Amino acid sequence: MNMKYTSIALILFTALVSCKPKIEAPEASMGDVDASRYIAIGTNNTAGYSNDGLTFNGQDNSYAAIIAKQFSVVATIDFKQPFVSAGSIGFNIDGKSPLKLGNKTDCKGLTSLSPIRIAGAGDMTQLMNQYAGYGPFNNFGVPGMSALSINVAGFGNPANGVGNFNPYFARFTSNEATASVLSDAVAQNPTFFTIMLGDDDILTYAKSGGTNGVIPLANGAAGVGFSGSLEEVITSLNGNGAKGAISNIPDVKEYPYFTTIPYNGLTVDAANAVTLNQIFNPVGISFVVGVNAFIMEDLTAPFGVRKMVEGELVLLSTPLDSVKCNGTGSVFPFRDEFVLDLDEIAEINTKISEYNTVISSLSQTYGLAIADTKLLIHRLKTGTVYNGVSMSSAFVTGGAYSLDGIQLNPNGQALLANTFLEAINLAFSAALPYANPIKYSGIIFP
Amino acid sequence: MGGAGSALPQDAAILFFNPGAASFHNSNEISVAMTPTFAKGTFLEDNTNETAHTTSPVGTPFSAYGLFQIKEDSKLKLGLAVYTPFGSTVEWEEGWTGRFALTRLKLLSIFVQPTISYRLTKKIGIGAGFVYSYGKVNLQKDLPLQDVSGEYGHAELSGSGNGFGFNVGLYIEPTEHLNFAVTYRSQVNMNLKKGEADFSVPESLNDKFPDGRFTSSIPLPSVFTFGIAVKPSEKLAIALDANYVNWKAYDTLAFDYETNTSSLLDTKSARKYEGSIAVRLGAQYKVTPQIIARLGIAYAMTPVQNGYVTPETPDNNRINYTCGIGYTITEKLILDASFLFTQVKREDTNLETGLSGKFKTLVFAPGLAVTYKL
Repeated sequence: MNMKYTSIALILFTALVSCKPKIEAPEASMGDVDASRYIAIGTNNTAGYSNDGLTFNGQDNSYAAIIAKQFSVVATIDFKQPFVSAGSIGFNIDGKSPLKLGNKTDCKGLTSLSPIRIAGAGDMTQLMNQYAGYGPFNNFGVPGMSALSINVAGFGNPANGVGNFNPYFARFTSNEATASVLSDAVAQNPTFFTIMLGDDDILTYAKSGGTNGVIPLANGAAGVGFSGSLEEVITSLNGNGAKGAISNIPDVKEYPYFTTIPYNGLTVDAANAVTLNQIFNPVGISFVVGVNAFIMEDLTAPFGVRKMVEGELVLLSTPLDSVKCNGTGSVFPFRDEFVLDLDEIAEINTKISEYNTVISSLSQTYGLAIADTKLLIHRLKTGTVYNGVSMSSAFVTGGAYSLDGIQLNPNGQALLANTFLEAINLAFSAALPYANPIKYSGIIFP
Repeated sequence: MGGAGSALPQDAAILFFNPGAASFHNSNEISVAMTPTFAKGTFLEDNTNETAHTTSPVGTPFSAYGLFQIKEDSKLKLGLAVYTPFGSTVEWEEGWTGRFALTRLKLLSIFVQPTISYRLTKKIGIGAGFVYSYGKVNLQKDLPLQDVSGEYGHAELSGSGNGFGFNVGLYIEPTEHLNFAVTYRSQVNMNLKKGEADFSVPESLNDKFPDGRFTSSIPLPSVFTFGIAVKPSEKLAIALDANYVNWKAYDTLAFDYETNTSSLLDTKSARKYEGSIAVRLGAQYKVTPQIIARLGIAYAMTPVQNGYVTPETPDNNRINYTCGIGYTITEKLILDASFLFTQVKREDTNLETGLSGKFKTLVFAPGLAVTYKL
């Protein structure tokens, strides 16, 4: 055969087998969104608080940061955050370090993988104000902030004394004495905003077993009720025609913090049953060998103690070693702070529902997109799968929540960012690509 | 020829296509063939618009046939066929978005088929082959378990097994211009009895993912074929085959681990394949006494239902285009070159893994066969 034709055929063939098939991706677009000055308003998840602490990695993977990253596929934006130093172990305001997964030996000598503190104490040098060096910022996620406190001047002022200021906001307030979270946010002259407020008001009550004050009223003026406070935020931010998205309130009781320990998690052997019955039969409580409901304090019960009933929740703050070895939850009934009883649960349900009515009505009035975080959290409760990765609210192993059982890990934050992006795409004719949750980290195993 | 030929005995490969027609092929011969197969795949994830490509190595299907007559004018022919009816390697680029569903699947099956073919009358032939098959599987995927350095876990399941089956055929040649064929190649179950599971996971999870044995079984489906060949002239032959491939047998891919733990449970993945039909049409023309030109086309229905598309087989209904040339070098030596091209597109959301997007695969397969007449 002719050499020339042979070599041409060879070249053609090589070209053919080395080409990769192309599939056209739909074009990404911002639609009606101008994200050039995007700011995020919120609390724990917004700040990227996770593993019961604030760390660079958590902040870098907050849903707000991930939304900004997806905006930047299409537009040029600069989303600045008050970062903890990248090399720092992080901290929380109780002075503790964040949690990691490690080996922990329980009171019975059994060693297993459990959340443990990274170090004896948190890196409290990170409480220093960052504004002069790195501000102004775009992420106004303030862990532990009530929706009612968002426009309190001096909310980041340590001089106000413990309990009268928020140390996380103190890290990035523009002016300790005069600035509020909202005034700093407004000063950014935002073109787009996301809001996730109110969840922490519910959570503060819920995770204290209903012992930490009351959940603020759904309706009331700014600083008094959720509705007025939220409306003040929205009308302060949308002044220049800025558009925004707001998250609804999930059922916080679906977080692993509330679902991990069953109300009837008390296992009793024959010997213990005899002892417990001797103690409790006189007050009308009896035990069987096997599975029993835990015992809790209840001032309304005869003798002040009773068995937990189905539907009541034991919190993850419960000292598990004491449960296993020292009779906590049986001989020594659970204190109120470790339990949500039916009345407290009813109060939480009512407030979530009222808050969501407020959110829905205000978002309609002001044309905000609603991110259905409630649905996302519920999906995690029942279990969901994304590209071969199962995620659920199972404590530690579920893969979407961080080790504190409340805040999301980067994996879950990406799912939350996608919940916002879905709403933004729908409401503002945008075609923003979603974040890929499996490219964000989940639980880190030693 | 588009893969048609059950009613057109013209070389020893007829042992594969139709054992019943082998007795009608006149010469004793040996034939070997190799078809390097280049498959290039791309995946576009729906939610993120992320693209991934396959890095699959070249597939190497091969076949070898020997066809013999014990003495001249005997109605009996003996043959031995060795071929690779199923098998390929699919490998996706490192870190791709479907890594927790699949990173690599290598499937190899070799069928060895000793065959007897008998000419009942001048117009009817029957034949039967016993099939011994040997197969190897290697399946790998990443595990969503991250260690401190950010590395993910990995699972590799490998094993080999063998199985048995048969290949029978009937050939009818009412006139020299028209032939018919009916063949049936049975299902073969590849039983992996001593598979090896090899896990690399973060150290603290080592006892939850013990390396060890597993068993599994992969059915290689039966194929029922009806074929016609028409020879209007000395120079022209047209062949038409219709196959029914009983992929229904591939309902579930199950792995049964010898040692289970709370994290390592036996798995059952639904595949729910459906029976599929393929229609193959080919024509060949004798350009000169030495040169035969061939063209073919085939339409094959996919066995993979919506909701069950996996990165191991992002299959769909497809049209295969083939062409070829046969060159008789000497009376004893024939060279056949062929080329196959096909493109497969599929869009799906897998019900089990949630992997959602568009697959596109291009396949080029140049083949070369050498036939030596004894």
